[in-house]
Amino acid sequence: MSEPTQKYRDKDVVNILIKKIKTLAEKSSETVRIMHVCGTHEHDLVKAGLRSLLPKNIDLIAGPGCPVCVCSAQDIDEVLWIADNHNVTIATFGDMMRVPSSTESLYQAQGRGVDIKIVYGVSDAIKMAEKNPETEFVFFSVGFETTSCVTAAEVVRTKLPNFSIYSSHKIVPPAMELLLQRDDLEFDGFLAPGHVSTIIGAKPYEFIPEKYDFPVSIAGFEPVDILLGIYSVLDQIIDGTARVDNMYKRYVKHEGNIAALRIVEDAFILSDARWRGLGVWPETGHEISDKYAHIDAKKKFDIPDLPTEDLRDGCICNEILIGKSKPQKCKLFNKSCRPDYPIGACMVSHEGTCNVAATYEEIIWEE
Amino acid sequence: MCLAIPALVCELVNEKRVMVDITGVRREADTSLLEEPLEIGDYVLVHTGFIISKLDPEQAKEDLKLWDEILSNQ
Repeated sequence: MSEPTQKYRDKDVVNILIKKIKTLAEKSSETVRIMHVCGTHEHDLVKAGLRSLLPKNIDLIAGPGCPVCVCSAQDIDEVLWIADNHNVTIATFGDMMRVPSSTESLYQAQGRGVDIKIVYGVSDAIKMAEKNPETEFVFFSVGFETTSCVTAAEVVRTKLPNFSIYSSHKIVPPAMELLLQRDDLEFDGFLAPGHVSTIIGAKPYEFIPEKYDFPVSIAGFEPVDILLGIYSVLDQIIDGTARVDNMYKRYVKHEGNIAALRIVEDAFILSDARWRGLGVWPETGHEISDKYAHIDAKKKFDIPDLPTEDLRDGCICNEILIGKSKPQKCKLFNKSCRPDYPIGACMVSHEGTCNVAATYEEIIWEE
Repeated sequence: MCLAIPALVCELVNEKRVMVDITGVRREADTSLLEEPLEIGDYVLVHTGFIISKLDPEQAKEDLKLWDEILSNQ
């Protein structure tokens, strides 16, 4: 038995909410653009068909919320370099396997003999390393705050000579600020990621209304959760106000998960991070802190500068990641780049914007 | 990736581990990231084997009240 989620999927509640959103949206003569920054939001809202239910003057934009998609080719290149040059077994999430590096995916590397194990989480990789003390293991760790706290829990307690972690972790709020500062993006409000927020709470978003006078709403993942989030952002936009609304209070506390945040602060330091096709974004990443250097693969192995290429064959993942373009506008979409044969990173994970659009055959309205 | 699954705590294994039930599938989950104590019958969110949040039943009731407010305010 799981959480009684039925009421969060109730058709009647959804219909009433859609009506309320329509009434609100009619107050605006222009298109209202709301950006979410969460792959799970994209997947769940498209699966539920919410975009097609919303009024036409509401544009729900998918931002850079899929950690597998934003992982730069260089990070994968470096992990493969370690595997090739130090006879190491790589352990990582299944989602990472088909993400293209500059030259190949981890699956393709596996095909030429590199030892790569798919694990459910970092703890499973540690168990493998314990059972095989003669083999050197590197856990390739990607993810936003939801995942980095789990990695942090193992960083602070694991002392295995044959185990280290390559951190490709990224953090959401500073990335949201960089999106706000871009001249080439136009949007009116943020839907903040529910599960990231279970860890960081509502506080880290407060600078957005304070500094930028820009609305934010934290939303969960059931259809009613997402619609309540949209409703509260829209309400702020129409009203001309800006604050952080927490619409996922049953799991998100204002101050977040204090115990998890304490462990993260101990295990990681803030760093610049490479985002696929978008270059280096300052202070949007998490590296393992010097105190735990013994478990940091980047310190354990002397990785050289490698030539790197994020986008291949005309892929526009860099534009899709920030909502500047839509998957259906890419000339590779559903032609040479498909869920079963992804060329771009956004087509790989079931949370990638292109993968979601292809899987659920989402139709977009042409302006 | 940031997918977290709602689960029901069904057995307390030791100080750092509990057994959870996810739509009929039972597995162990690590509680190291949670400060508050867990009891059998608590709803939690599980992410890659770790419990990242516990459902606040009082807050869930408050949420329902908020819905009513939004939904009745025609």
